[in-house]
Amino acid sequence: MKKILIVDDEQDIVESLKFVLEAADFTCYCAYNGEDGLRLAKEIIPDLIILDVMMPKINGYKISRLLKYDAKYKNIPILMVTARSQEEDKLIGEETGADEYITKPFELDDVVNKVKQYLK
Amino acid sequence: MIKILAISDRKNKSDYFNTIFNKNTYEFSCLSDENLIFDMISADAPDVIIIDTQIKDLKNINKKIKNLCPNTIIIFLISANKIDKDLIKYANAFLTDEMSEDFILSTININMRMKNSLEMLSNSNKDLADSLYRLNALYSTSSQFSGTLDKAKLIQYMIEGMDKALSFSLTCTLSLCTEAEPVLILNSLYELSDELIEALKLRTVLNYNSMFDGKNPPVSINSDTLKVVKQIKYPASRFTFSLFRFDNMFAPISLGENTFGCVEIFKEASFSPDDATCFQTIAQQVALPLKSATLYQEIIEANTKLAKLERLKSEFISIVSHELRTPLTSIKNSLDILMSGRCGQITESADKFLSMAMRNVQRLSGIINDLLDLSKIEAGKMDFNFAPTNINTVIDYVKSALSEVAKSKGLTILTNQEKSLPDIKADAQRLEQVLTNLVSNAIKFTPESKTITISSKLAHSKDIQINENFKDTVKLKDGDYVLVCVEDEGIGIAEKDLLHAFDKFAQIENSLSRKAGGTGLGLPIAKQLLEAHQGAIWCDSELNKGSKFYFAIPVTNVLSPV
Repeated sequence: MKKILIVDDEQDIVESLKFVLEAADFTCYCAYNGEDGLRLAKEIIPDLIILDVMMPKINGYKISRLLKYDAKYKNIPILMVTARSQEEDKLIGEETGADEYITKPFELDDVVNKVKQYLK
Repeated sequence: MIKILAISDRKNKSDYFNTIFNKNTYEFSCLSDENLIFDMISADAPDVIIIDTQIKDLKNINKKIKNLCPNTIIIFLISANKIDKDLIKYANAFLTDEMSEDFILSTININMRMKNSLEMLSNSNKDLADSLYRLNALYSTSSQFSGTLDKAKLIQYMIEGMDKALSFSLTCTLSLCTEAEPVLILNSLYELSDELIEALKLRTVLNYNSMFDGKNPPVSINSDTLKVVKQIKYPASRFTFSLFRFDNMFAPISLGENTFGCVEIFKEASFSPDDATCFQTIAQQVALPLKSATLYQEIIEANTKLAKLERLKSEFISIVSHELRTPLTSIKNSLDILMSGRCGQITESADKFLSMAMRNVQRLSGIINDLLDLSKIEAGKMDFNFAPTNINTVIDYVKSALSEVAKSKGLTILTNQEKSLPDIKADAQRLEQVLTNLVSNAIKFTPESKTITISSKLAHSKDIQINENFKDTVKLKDGDYVLVCVEDEGIGIAEKDLLHAFDKFAQIENSLSRKAGGTGLGLPIAKQLLEAHQGAIWCDSELNKGSKFYFAIPVTNVLSPV
């Protein structure tokens, strides 16, 4: 079974994503802050990461960059979840390496479909 | 009384003149001793000197007299009809021994009149020169005034201007407007003792308080703590208290309600009425630029505040929309899961309310998107991807995207497109946003079984009719435009509300249309997006008949580099 890592400080969002992804037969690992997310990513080497942008300590862009610069992880697809805020817009100008952006609020089915696409 | 001196040693002549002049109330004297003559002339210059050419050492006397009193009338008494050419350069007139009394008197009178006229002329020349100088000083001062909005400089120019025009000994300028606290500027020829400065401070505060007729001054000044700035021209010498015996003038520096300070000026010689006028003029003239400078400063401060507010507003909207979006996502996700039936069967009535919740989640997220868009445009942070765009492609896209929604309301969307329209430089996605908004509005406000028409055409600015209400706000530059019109048969807009249709939150004010939903941000966003395309948007409408929303984008802009 494919492993998906969900990183978001908003637990409710992690919960709903986990629910639909498990229903679609994926194994989900969850982290509720950037630091745990990064550690878990390196530990389990997931097949795909769903990553929130605005998080305390380490934001999603930074995590994405760190992973994408590392040969061991750079092939893991990253779906970036954004609320389109101005702080995020400022950051988005930089190279983040994310494979896909999902804007909040998003359709759960869309996310599931995108995950399936990347993991075909 | 006219003073006449005769220089002659002939007794008969002297007696003769004496008789004539005394009889006619002239002050007459006659001398022949050379030393006495010059003593007398030096002490009290006569108006007329009659010189007998038969006197000894005539040449020498002439020279000396001319030096001593150049303005005195010199008349030579000569023997009949014989004039020494040397005398002509000294002479104003000649008398002969044979001349009658009348002749002598009229010669003197004519010369006196001439002398008086000359004196008057020279005096008025001098006055004229003075006035000219003062006028020049005033002129250069006022041009200096108009050249700056720096209050400290203005006060300094005022003092310099007075120096040029009035050459004072000392000015005491109290300025309320150049620094955070009042300051006394002492501009003096000579150094001032500490006691004198204390006295001047006290005097200035008294002067200042007297400007307000016993009412409380706008800024109360304490002479003990008043700050003093000294500007001394010749520090080697020193003024004493005798300064207070000098002539002085005082003027407030104020305009209407605004008091900027006051100025007092001291001078050893007395001031003329012209000096007073000049002094007042300069003190009054500086008040106007000081007022402008104050206003300018206020505007700058207000602008800074506004800019800060604007920034705060943008940040606020950005933060709020982020904070709103996150919980909204959780609500939406939960609803999605429930409605998908993955948590168990949903009853029909449960589905009804879940759908209701979902509809409103979508509405809320639409509002947040609009708010974000607007704050981005207003902050100039909206990115546009300008590329050659055909408007008909945009129309086709919007029509196909919205015809389902229209159909569900029993409405038909028709198009009336001019074929082969030129491309315009535009962000196709943003134009879709504009047109989607206009057509959605039309769908929202049009009752069942009516039609909505989207038309496009090429038109020159002079052939485009703009509703009277928008004459002031919509100005099209001369040239060709692609004109798009969305026409509906809906409830329409009252004439008085037409102009406000594009104001932010305009719809929210209107309870009738509030039922139709929406944020009231769609049209203001459309307006801003079109302005970013150098285009314009306006509308025609009639209550209960329908509305026509137009927008125009210049064709020429495709030629300019992106």
